[in-house]
Amino acid sequence: MHALSSYLILSALLFSLGLYTVITRKNAVAILMGIELILNAANVNFIAFSKFVTHHVEGHLMAVFIIMLAAAEAAVALAIILNLYNDHGNINVDEANALKR
Amino acid sequence: MGEVIFWVIWALVAVSAMVVAFSKNLVYSVFSLLATFIGVAGIYIFLNADFLAVTQIVIYVGGILVLLVFGIMLTNRIVVAKITQSSLQRTTGLVVVGAIFLVLVLTLLNQTWPLATSAAEFDSTVNNIGELLFGDYLILFEVASVLLLGALIGAATLARKEL
Amino acid sequence: MDLTQLALSLKYFIPEMVLTGFIVVAILYDLFLKPETSHRVGFVAIAGLVVTLGMLYQQQGIPATGIFANMFALDGFATFFKWVVAIGAALAIWMSLDTKELENRRVGEYHILILILVLGMFLLVSATHIISIYLSLEMVSIMSYLLAGYLKENSRSNEASVKYVIYGAFSSGIMLYGLSLLYGLTGTGYISEIQAQLVLGQVSPVMLVLVTVLLLAGFGYKISAVPFHFWTPDVYEGAPTPITAFLSVAPKAAGFAVLIRFFNVALSQGDPNTPSWLALPGLDWPMIIAVLSAITMTVGNVLAIQQNNIKRLLAYSSIAHAGYMLMGVVVADQTGIAAILYYAGVYMLMNLGAFFVAIQIKNIYNTETIADYAGLGFKAPWIGIAMAVFLFALTGLPPTAGFVAKFYLFRALVQFGDGFLWLAMFGLLNGVVSLFYYMRILKAMYFDKMEIPEKLTAVPLHFNVLMFILVVPLLVGWMFGDPLSIWAAEAVQFFF
Repeated sequence: MHALSSYLILSALLFSLGLYTVITRKNAVAILMGIELILNAANVNFIAFSKFVTHHVEGHLMAVFIIMLAAAEAAVALAIILNLYNDHGNINVDEANALKR
Repeated sequence: MGEVIFWVIWALVAVSAMVVAFSKNLVYSVFSLLATFIGVAGIYIFLNADFLAVTQIVIYVGGILVLLVFGIMLTNRIVVAKITQSSLQRTTGLVVVGAIFLVLVLTLLNQTWPLATSAAEFDSTVNNIGELLFGDYLILFEVASVLLLGALIGAATLARKEL
Repeated sequence: MDLTQLALSLKYFIPEMVLTGFIVVAILYDLFLKPETSHRVGFVAIAGLVVTLGMLYQQQGIPATGIFANMFALDGFATFFKWVVAIGAALAIWMSLDTKELENRRVGEYHILILILVLGMFLLVSATHIISIYLSLEMVSIMSYLLAGYLKENSRSNEASVKYVIYGAFSSGIMLYGLSLLYGLTGTGYISEIQAQLVLGQVSPVMLVLVTVLLLAGFGYKISAVPFHFWTPDVYEGAPTPITAFLSVAPKAAGFAVLIRFFNVALSQGDPNTPSWLALPGLDWPMIIAVLSAITMTVGNVLAIQQNNIKRLLAYSSIAHAGYMLMGVVVADQTGIAAILYYAGVYMLMNLGAFFVAIQIKNIYNTETIADYAGLGFKAPWIGIAMAVFLFALTGLPPTAGFVAKFYLFRALVQFGDGFLWLAMFGLLNGVVSLFYYMRILKAMYFDKMEIPEKLTAVPLHFNVLMFILVVPLLVGWMFGDPLSIWAAEAVQFFF
């Protein structure tokens, strides 16, 4: 079988790529994609630990709740982003600067 | 055979996540996110998480990804065809995140994890998850329903035309 | 755990159930209202909060206990924060009733979302399992995003909301990754069991620091500590002002509650209730928090000096106050935590008060710029006097409760030992800096003579009542034996 480390490295990779996406992108939807990568990284961890460490489906339960929250968050975020688009004509986070810096 | 499939899926997740992060074209990004989500579902199957694998496909691919695609479609004028998007400080970001990744991997690999003596082979997790969801986790299940209700009301309020 | 045992927990959950009931009632009631009358949902919301407070009062004296399979805890600590949150919410809804920003639109959902936000904070302050912490934290966050963007045709509000949702989702994602590692390191999600595993010393110090940093991203964002504060000024400026007032006190207090509970229970050595409380060996997190505290208060205060918009100024000042409260987290024993509770209570009144004055001036004179406040101290004497009290309290000057609150924090820090005297000095210096910009507002109100625009509207009577309710406790609350501090000291005795 594959060791725990192969899963941990994968999740660290997903986490780092998500981080990179969030800090380099300007488009709000693209940033959300980065956030989804980070959440997936955490989920892989939870489920891998469930199998290798705890022998218990507790980690699966956490992943279920996280997926549910990710969906709620994505829906709310897109409603807000569409509103921003309706008045700015674009959704680049750094061009939204009516608020003083 | 299983070994080969595992590493193929592993590579699929890694490569598609890289495309999500590095692609200049947002549409490529969002479609490789599809591959990432499906690949992660595959990883879940190797971790004996059958219920989670299905949930991942239904909610992530069927729900969140569709939302994101709609988000991109609705906020880019398709007529202009050019849906590329520039990004800032790519090299700086790469250096910083690369360093974080190295630190993360080194720390994770140097840690002795409290491994269970034999890896668990759940036959099917659905039963266990269902029992826990309506047992220890019942209150969270109920709280989640209030949260979803709030998100629904709020998102609908923000999305409707009327003030 | 079978259902009958879970059902036994229900009797400890009455305030939350009542609140949920009122949420449903408010949603149904809203269906029958036209946009012009939709503010009536606010009355239902206030009534709901009052009944909830009554139910909370009924819970006084129940010994600390875990409920619902220990997912949540009922203890004095949580109850104290529930009071702060519920009172703050009721006052914020009251302020919303006559706010110009919210006129001519449907506000039913607005009040419903505030109630759900309050429920989220009730759960957050009592959460004792990593997934219940994460779930309630997200509940608070998602409702806050929606409320910040409630003025959807207003581009400032939209911008505020987008920044909020992006920073928020990002930092809670980072925190979640930290939580997942913690789950793997300890094999459990209950924070008391996490502590039991961590004291065994199997986890490398580097790993512990890594996890702490990841977790601080989520908690620090909720309390707007530097460097997770970037969203604060923009969100506070763009959101509807009553929401800004509410977000600056209640979720911040709840964030402190979960931060304290998590760090004191999970990252400690021995029982969190003993006087000889110690941080986990191999992880000097009090030092990490101390540095965070010093940076947070300095950044908040220094940036506040340059601000011209009252909401932005108060945003930076609220960052600085998060820094002061973190001083209590550094101490982390019972005196320190009691000092934070006291501070959270007083801060709720004084910060809501300062924002309330900003709301009234916006209503009456339609301005948020401090320069336009010139002469208002004479033109609107009651508002002027009230603002003076709130600003004195925020600075920490006697004879207000703000002084007493700061005194407790500094006393806790100094008593703790010589290790953190430098932090106390830092705090004092920062107090001087903050004096400068708070007094700038008062100077504008009393000493700058300028043409004052005509009043657009009269102040409704109930607003004067509300002002009175906010001012009086700040002035006299700490006299007569200081009931709040006695209560705070009692609350930390029952730490689950």
